[in-house]
Amino acid sequence: MSAPAQVAERGTPRRGGGYAKPRKAGGGNFELISWFFMRLSGLLLIFLALYHLVWWNLIVGVAHLDSQVVIERWNNPFWRLFNVALVTFAMLHGLNGARYSIEDYVRRPGRQVAVKAVVYTLVLGSLLVAVFALLTFDPAVLVNR
Amino acid sequence: MANVRHTSLGTALRYRGREGMWTWILHRATGLGILLFLIIHVIDTAIIIYWPGEYDVALGIYKHPVFRFAELLIFFSVLYHAVNGLRIVIQDFWPYVMQRQRQLVWATAVIVVLAMLPVTWIMLAPIFGLAQEPGTARSEVRCSEARNAHAPACVNPEGEVAL
Repeated sequence: MSAPAQVAERGTPRRGGGYAKPRKAGGGNFELISWFFMRLSGLLLIFLALYHLVWWNLIVGVAHLDSQVVIERWNNPFWRLFNVALVTFAMLHGLNGARYSIEDYVRRPGRQVAVKAVVYTLVLGSLLVAVFALLTFDPAVLVNR
Repeated sequence: MANVRHTSLGTALRYRGREGMWTWILHRATGLGILLFLIIHVIDTAIIIYWPGEYDVALGIYKHPVFRFAELLIFFSVLYHAVNGLRIVIQDFWPYVMQRQRQLVWATAVIVVLAMLPVTWIMLAPIFGLAQEPGTARSEVRCSEARNAHAPACVNPEGEVAL
């Protein structure tokens, strides 16, 4: 059998539940910040993502969708910025969630680095493509058709 | 590695973690599923800035009835992840409610199921001919405008795209 899993060092228990922040020798606050980011981006995404789904699936309807519908929508800079916010928060929230899963299930250090490299590249690469497409979108496309 | 544990899937699923375990598994599964779809969705949408025609071809695939079930699954995943995530946030910032955490899980389930009933009807009924596609009235107004006469969805409302 393998040795027992190492338990992360905890701080002292706090009244009313939870633990006080453990004291660490050096090291940053990355896990605390990522925990807080998941709550903050999650709350924002409830509105951004559900609005996006309701609008395109229930109000516009996939059956009535074509490139011109999207181009007309993107002509308004507000909706391009809305999409930038939606895709950025969703990708970073998803990337951090994927990191939790990778660190839980891929335990060999070498393999974990490899899996993270692939997933980070895919997620950050498609985020880059998305933001590039939204920010360089040229409304003249509509005129040229 | 000292930290590698070998637990089979069967053993893991026989663990009786009740509501908390199942919501956790579903939260993780829906989260990873949404991320996978998000990557695909970004790529297919981004091509619109250079190749609007190819975008319409990609849409033709999404309009196939089989994909309607996939879109419904994505809708469910986002809705569940949102409501369950909200439950987690509330429990984190207001630990008092942890005393009723099992009831909160059931409240989450009820909210998701109630919201999914009309969503399922709106998205699936049209492919069985039981209702109009959502947005049909909006689309008819749009297609009656002269400048949209040649828009792909107006020329071919059935959505079939010649490949």
